[in-house]
Amino acid sequence: MFGPVLVGANGITLRTPSLDDHKTYVRWMMEPETSRFWGGRILDFREEAFEERHKKDADDPTSVSWAIAYNDETVGFTGLFDIDWVARDCESGIFIGRSDLYGRGIASEAVRLRTEFAWREMHLHRVHNWISLLNRGSRRANEKAGYRQMGLMRQYGFRSGQWYDDWLGEVFPEESPAGTFVPPSKGGSGDKSFQRERRVRQSSRDRARLEKPANKREEASQ
Amino acid sequence: MFGGTVRGKLATLRVPVDADLQAHKRWAGDMRVRRAGPIGRWHEPAAGETWKERWAEQAKDKSSVLWSIAVGDRPVGYARIEFEGAPHADGISLDQLVIDPDEARKGYGWDAALALHRWAFDYMNLRLAATDRIAADDAGRQRILEKLGYVRFGHGHSVYYRDGAYVDQYLYQIDRDIWNDRWPNEREYAPLGDEKAR
Repeated sequence: MFGPVLVGANGITLRTPSLDDHKTYVRWMMEPETSRFWGGRILDFREEAFEERHKKDADDPTSVSWAIAYNDETVGFTGLFDIDWVARDCESGIFIGRSDLYGRGIASEAVRLRTEFAWREMHLHRVHNWISLLNRGSRRANEKAGYRQMGLMRQYGFRSGQWYDDWLGEVFPEESPAGTFVPPSKGGSGDKSFQRERRVRQSSRDRARLEKPANKREEASQ
Repeated sequence: MFGGTVRGKLATLRVPVDADLQAHKRWAGDMRVRRAGPIGRWHEPAAGETWKERWAEQAKDKSSVLWSIAVGDRPVGYARIEFEGAPHADGISLDQLVIDPDEARKGYGWDAALALHRWAFDYMNLRLAATDRIAADDAGRQRILEKLGYVRFGHGHSVYYRDGAYVDQYLYQIDRDIWNDRWPNEREYAPLGDEKAR
């Protein structure tokens, strides 16, 4: 499946990918600047192969993918893959193809939008991913959205005489600053005031935490 | 692809044959097998024709290998691996390891797993084997992996859903060096020695 348009902050938008977007991604993947932590720079480069892959992505019921746009220009892609609809779990991934735009927070905002969509619109229970430990930018972008380390695989990849370990992360709705939907009836504001919803969620969690010992004391005294 | 013969002491990994299809069909529909989670659920239950198609696909797939596990002429389970690290795949991911529940606790799972890893490290000279498909309450497979020398490198929380509840996931890996240290005598063939002396 392809994802719908999600408008984020700082000129960043996730949008439904086009065939031209797909062709652009593939060109980026063949460049050394972007493939240190990605693939092997070898691919079926025929026109019909692009179309087949694009159609396959669109038809796949176990994935949702987006093009990432920065100031209206496609700069990469992201998605949720291998969705297990019973366990409501999936893997996530992101690729920024414009290496000249690294460090501008594009991945962080894209991951936030993607994660928020996973909770609010897909009702997923968990999202996980594998990131090269040395790919600090990608790891930080995911950590900001609430991903936490759940494992470390030794010597997963090899580049230029060096073994790379892989960082395994997972995130759950209740731990994710990307937010879970709070309906207006419960103090949430619907679709935009994500910061306010976070505060509401956090304050209700704090309240619950504060109330718990009191309840236990009451139970003990009865 | 289908895998060729790898002999253990009790069980043998061998090429799947049509006669095994009925057993696969039965295992896919057995809740005792499916309870293991992804490592015991290669496919959903299906009609015989669908199983034939699945095998045809498996036979063509160059990125994975399927074996039947047999004791004598009797199929008692199956194993499947996927090659990792394409295009120069130097590792495997243990995708399926299933023993018929009616044949459990006879040592077939351990024996088949040992033979499978001998094939991976001693015969194929692969660098690494790993799996991310073990449920945290699957003590049997954990015991087999840890005895082989696997090290747990990850713990996913609330990953598999069954019996109305979530179960955690354990992730394991074993390197060739660990295998060689632990199982120096697990060799497919005895050394041939110096050509001049033969």
